[in-house]
Amino acid sequence: MAHAVISCLHANLAALEAVLSDIDQRAITTITCLGDLVGYGPQPNEVVNLVRERSIPSCQGCWDEDIIEGLNACECSYPSQLAERRGHQAHQWTAEQLSEENKAFLASLPMTLRRDRLLFVHGSPNSQHEYLLPDMDAFAALERVQTADADTLFCGHTHRPYVRELRDGVIRVRVQTPADPQAAAEREMALPVRRIVNAGSVGEPRHGNTHATYVIHDEATGNVEIREVPYDVERTCRAIVEVGLPPVFAWRLRHGFEYAERADDASHVCER
Amino acid sequence: MARWALVSGLQGDLALYEAIQRDLRQLGRVDTLFVLGDLIGPDRDANALLDRLQDPRRGELAPQCIYGWWEDQLLAERGYRGERRADPLRQQFGQAAVEALQEAVDPGHLAWLAALQFGFIELDCALLHGSSADVGDCLGPESSPLLLLDRLTRMDVNRLFTARSGEQFCVELAGGGIASTVRDLAGERQLQQVVPQRKVIGIGGGLRYSLYDPGSDRIAFRSVGQQPGSRGRGFA
Repeated sequence: MAHAVISCLHANLAALEAVLSDIDQRAITTITCLGDLVGYGPQPNEVVNLVRERSIPSCQGCWDEDIIEGLNACECSYPSQLAERRGHQAHQWTAEQLSEENKAFLASLPMTLRRDRLLFVHGSPNSQHEYLLPDMDAFAALERVQTADADTLFCGHTHRPYVRELRDGVIRVRVQTPADPQAAAEREMALPVRRIVNAGSVGEPRHGNTHATYVIHDEATGNVEIREVPYDVERTCRAIVEVGLPPVFAWRLRHGFEYAERADDASHVCER
Repeated sequence: MARWALVSGLQGDLALYEAIQRDLRQLGRVDTLFVLGDLIGPDRDANALLDRLQDPRRGELAPQCIYGWWEDQLLAERGYRGERRADPLRQQFGQAAVEALQEAVDPGHLAWLAALQFGFIELDCALLHGSSADVGDCLGPESSPLLLLDRLTRMDVNRLFTARSGEQFCVELAGGGIASTVRDLAGERQLQQVVPQRKVIGIGGGLRYSLYDPGSDRIAFRSVGQQPGSRGRGFA
């Protein structure tokens, strides 16, 4: 059975409608959302309403959490104070616009969803704010999947879709204790094959193109297809400017990459 | 290069601390004393030890302290950790232990305890109570090598000293590797990575402490009560 995984909708209604239409055309009925329904984009209520109408199971993203809990991360992944200020502006605007009912819905979202050996999270099993980048340390990547007791980990947050298979792993260790310091015990751990699938972003792609991205996973074959879906980018850009959000959000959507807001250290996880 | 002494789990025991200081004086060639948390505990009044740690006597090595699991629990219960309370302590040892811990420490020490850091980075070493993941993370000689490597990678260090388990051990990552394939919209690429030569060292707790020579990378496990002339149980 094929199922679709979407992430990082970011209040972009035109992109979400286009992606759902693409999924419907493939007669796929199981959809999972990895959070960040709101933030940056101009239609937070419309996007949350559509996810609720379609009864799409969703995890809570970092933006969803911040809207409910208040900004409790230090936002230290912002590359500049100007970018941080724009992020705060978007946060405040979204919090003001979002209905109480939709805030309650976001607050009700779980951190993770699980289907058998498939685990669905926003950032990583550790944190909604942690970025699992495609080239990150392979052992650390495997640890995230293995510690979560999953075979395949679906995540978002980076806005860049990819599939990473980790295999042929082995770690050898030499263990010494005071009981017998001269006789070191050696052991070897064979690491299991695991996969990380990043669904990219529906509402704010950063993979070098303006198209929305999502993935289709075939549970029978294990195949993962990364989909790119064109949508009416101008419609969203106009709405961003009309509602008074920072115009740079529209500018970067038109370019398909977060030129103005790219984090210097995307691996940083705020502990605040 | 002189050696470091690494101590933890004093839990308010001033006599034990004085015995370790005596041991260090007799050994010589130790220039830095790190106390990796658990300065306090629920079993005895910790105020005299806390006074001494903040105001060392002449001739003693001045301790460099970080907070441990017991300090974290106390500070949480006393409102120094936001909304968090000492629930792990409560679940593990009961309400009586929470109350005993609070009674063991005069409120006048709380500000000093709250100012202690999570850990130190010295040279290429992380000196922590638990691990880079959490102050309560309990690493031991049987811990998964994948987990140990992850804890090292998170701080990007070659040596991670931990105290939470109270055990003395040295796990050396001695080889191995992993392959991966990344596929995205630009295509597919193969990546290969080898296991870095790194170590996780359990320093012990209470009577058991460790000496580390950063110059030679030698660790020696000691226990107070050992004969001064003995060499400790060292590894190259």
